[in-house]
Amino acid sequence: MPSKISRAEFDMLVAQSGLPLNEAQKQEIHQAYGLLEGMIARVNMPMPREAEPALIFVPEVR
Amino acid sequence: MATIPTIADAAKQIAAKQLSPVELTEACLARTHAHNDTLHAFLLLTEERALAEARAAEARMMSGMLKGRLDGIPIGHKDIYNTAGLRTTAHSKLLEHNVPTEDSKVVQLWAEAGSVMMGKLATHEFAMGGPSFDLPWPPARNPWNPEHFTAGSSSGTGAAVAAGMVLGGTGSDTGGSIRGPAALCGLAGIKPTYGLCSRAGVLPLSYTLDHTGPLAWTSEDCALLLQAMAGHDPNDPASANRPTPDFTALLGKDVKGLRIGVARTFFDSDNRVNDTTRAGINAALDQFTAMGAEVRDVDLSPMADYHACGFLILVAEAYALHEPWLKSRFNDYGESFRDRIALGAFIRSADYIAAIRKRRALCLELKAAMADLDILVSAAAVSEPPKITEVPKWATLDKPSFTMPFNVTGYPAMSICTGFGVGGLPLSMQLIAKPFAEPVLFQAAHAYETATDWRSKRPALVS
Repeated sequence: MPSKISRAEFDMLVAQSGLPLNEAQKQEIHQAYGLLEGMIARVNMPMPREAEPALIFVPEVR
Repeated sequence: MATIPTIADAAKQIAAKQLSPVELTEACLARTHAHNDTLHAFLLLTEERALAEARAAEARMMSGMLKGRLDGIPIGHKDIYNTAGLRTTAHSKLLEHNVPTEDSKVVQLWAEAGSVMMGKLATHEFAMGGPSFDLPWPPARNPWNPEHFTAGSSSGTGAAVAAGMVLGGTGSDTGGSIRGPAALCGLAGIKPTYGLCSRAGVLPLSYTLDHTGPLAWTSEDCALLLQAMAGHDPNDPASANRPTPDFTALLGKDVKGLRIGVARTFFDSDNRVNDTTRAGINAALDQFTAMGAEVRDVDLSPMADYHACGFLILVAEAYALHEPWLKSRFNDYGESFRDRIALGAFIRSADYIAAIRKRRALCLELKAAMADLDILVSAAAVSEPPKITEVPKWATLDKPSFTMPFNVTGYPAMSICTGFGVGGLPLSMQLIAKPFAEPVLFQAAHAYETATDWRSKRPALVS
């Protein structure tokens, strides 16, 4: 699945991340990023505001 | 010693003074010396230590002071489990010379149970990147055919147990890393309920998805190993503080009336298994029906929903752990690990939070689906093991994983062997139970294994 963001936009993300990717690595990971975008879309379905995450902080009782 | 005993059989013979732990260990060492250059299961063989521990077990046996059913049993540890004074590398150049000063909790518990530690076993790099051919050590190979993949990440444990180099070993499972190698190496392997076994002293990959657990030849052996590693550990913040049950309590109990659901859409359409794998699962379901279980199909969300949720959490958490090294030593990682984990740099906080909100919804869905079930059945792998040179780097992104749903939800799940397919390579299925219902999981798996003949066949390499 091709990425929805352009290679130039992806290069900006890489620059912000500080990862030392070479040209070949950028190209391959940009392609894989398209698959990641599909996953991100799957988890971003509408949910009510009160739908808490699975992880909550449990204070330790002493 | 011609045949490779199960842990249960060896324990009985040791208890009856009919089997010498030293001879048992020497037989495992002989198989290791004969085949490790082909299988690359061990990264570090601790032969002298193993023989010393076997002699100590033998002395206990002779004096009637055995510690239990693991006393004198040769085992190995995945090389992400810290071992005091012994190199623990995660199969990575980054930790090539790392020598911990303390044992992980599970290593400590198995040592206290009298097991014989044979050494450290291969893993995919940091329990994620593999198979890799650009690391300081080669990847483990499948004993059923060394040209084929073991799956991972507990690859060395899968290979070593199948080849009888050890009778059982540790694995870790963040998205399927125990159940995958168990499936492709023809073993039993259990990812217990999240929180059942300590992860203290085990190199983390993803804090909220990581599990520790055992692999062995049979489900009964897994129960024995799990008994010695489960329990509350205050040094693991996710550890469940509850009594540890007897995991062997239901072994041998029939499955009449057991309610079994089948997540058929997972393996019929979401990630369609090959014909031999489907035939193996269907034959197993027929076997359960013949034994009196009630079998019916269950509807769940698409497996891709579970997979997306798990993968995003995994990669985001793993990236957070590895970011300093990824920025400073990117090319010291193997290509497979570094490229996969680099994706974590591009997951926004809003998307990570969306994933863990989705996670709760999926936990609630599975809880409702299993309310009137004892066991859920799914596939553990899409087919027999592929050739190790033909595993795509992005396979974990491309197709939803059969195992990830139960890391996302924390439910106990195990792989067992359902026979042999193309090329005589192992077939598998996955059984899932409710949280902390491991005894039921072992009941079902053991009933199936004893009703079939698959556990009598070992790889030709060691037969």
